[in-house]
Amino acid sequence: MMKHFGEYVRERREELRAKNPEFSLRKIAARIDVEPSYLSKVERGEQPPPSEAKIKLLAEALGEDPDALLAMAGKISSDLQKAILQRPQLFAELIREMKNMPDHAMLRLVREVRDGNW
Amino acid sequence: MIELKRDKLVFSFPEVHPEARFEIEFERTLRIPDDGRDHFLPPGLGAFPLKHVDDFADGVPAGWLEHGGIMLPMHQAEAMWLNFHSAYIRGRGARYPFAVKIAAGKIDAVSGEQWTNGLHGVPQDYLVVPKQPWLDGFCVEKGIIRQFVAMPLGAGYTAEEQITGKGEIGGLQIVVYPMKREVFERRFPKRDRRDSLLEEQSCISMASAPDMGLAPGGRMRQEIYEDPFDFDDWDRSRSSRCFVHIANSLVWRAITGEAPPTVPPTAAVYTAADLPWFDYYDEGAAALEGSDILKQLRSIIELGRAKRETPVPENDGIDTPRVVRLGDRRSRNQVREGMF
Repeated sequence: MMKHFGEYVRERREELRAKNPEFSLRKIAARIDVEPSYLSKVERGEQPPPSEAKIKLLAEALGEDPDALLAMAGKISSDLQKAILQRPQLFAELIREMKNMPDHAMLRLVREVRDGNW
Repeated sequence: MIELKRDKLVFSFPEVHPEARFEIEFERTLRIPDDGRDHFLPPGLGAFPLKHVDDFADGVPAGWLEHGGIMLPMHQAEAMWLNFHSAYIRGRGARYPFAVKIAAGKIDAVSGEQWTNGLHGVPQDYLVVPKQPWLDGFCVEKGIIRQFVAMPLGAGYTAEEQITGKGEIGGLQIVVYPMKREVFERRFPKRDRRDSLLEEQSCISMASAPDMGLAPGGRMRQEIYEDPFDFDDWDRSRSSRCFVHIANSLVWRAITGEAPPTVPPTAAVYTAADLPWFDYYDEGAAALEGSDILKQLRSIIELGRAKRETPVPENDGIDTPRVVRLGDRRSRNQVREGMF
């Protein structure tokens, strides 16, 4: 079963703290500008996950992927929301089609930076 | 293959090695005083936003579409540094090596020579990553660079205009070459698991022209390291290159609909707030001599005096700064917690 957001954050932070005291609850709370007691409650699941902006800061502080952390918190990044809202049916259809597809069968869409004449 | 990922330019060479991946971030920073003194490394104030020029085909000059590539916004007289990162290869205890050529307005920032696509060993016209963690400017003397500072193309300040007499190109040009896979695997043999674990612990409304170029600003202590490998170690048959256009921040919103980042604080205000500057020195590496061509460049302030112009809004000196000596972490992006 997927871990809940707070449990995952605590495990990850504690793992990092074992090597570096900069990852203490107090230091991380200061880095994302929240009270340590609030972060502690979030980690214990006593408070719901914080805002998108705070989750992104937390992802940066812990070296985690922000989209993955947002998804774990039941949120999606506002830029993705905006993209979906522009073409909601198309994206809904795409995600439903692809949800059970194994990774190896999923074609990764890569947009390359175009080179020109210079 | 080159991609844009969260304001990073990512070069990958899966045909050479599955993990041969190199990233560049274009970092906002303070403009150091152009006062003849040699300054420490200024901080990173976050990355410039990057966009595909193709996504704004209606708004950018036709020449930008011809060049392809990406664009970023800079205020006039704003400074920038380039932050390099290459992928860590587990099991070999090493980051994949790359030879990286950087030019501004097609003037090589290391050798001062005009742009060619190939690599040249003598004089060395490239940097070696991961040995070289960053680049802040034009290599004018051994151990000294002059900071990259944005100036409008056509005003005569850019390195390109000072050397060629023309202001036609602007922006930054980057080409990346990976090390040959067999050389990488020979030089960095597989290590046992215990070794690896030990290591881990350790315009549009065009009121002003959009094109900006990079001009030489103040002096900074920074060594550009000699290639520690053999010239034939580089896979010169494979490379990826990218043209980075620099848009004047005044027209960025008109092109993209988005606000450019704010103007960074001045070096004097930053220093007075007791925020840190940085120093980095790799004792095990030999530094290149500066380029004779780049040594001839006149800084923005020197040229401004000769032209009787005021090209930058201020050039206040700074008091003795608090300097953080960088160790293994090599992070200059540590100012987020500061107070202004």
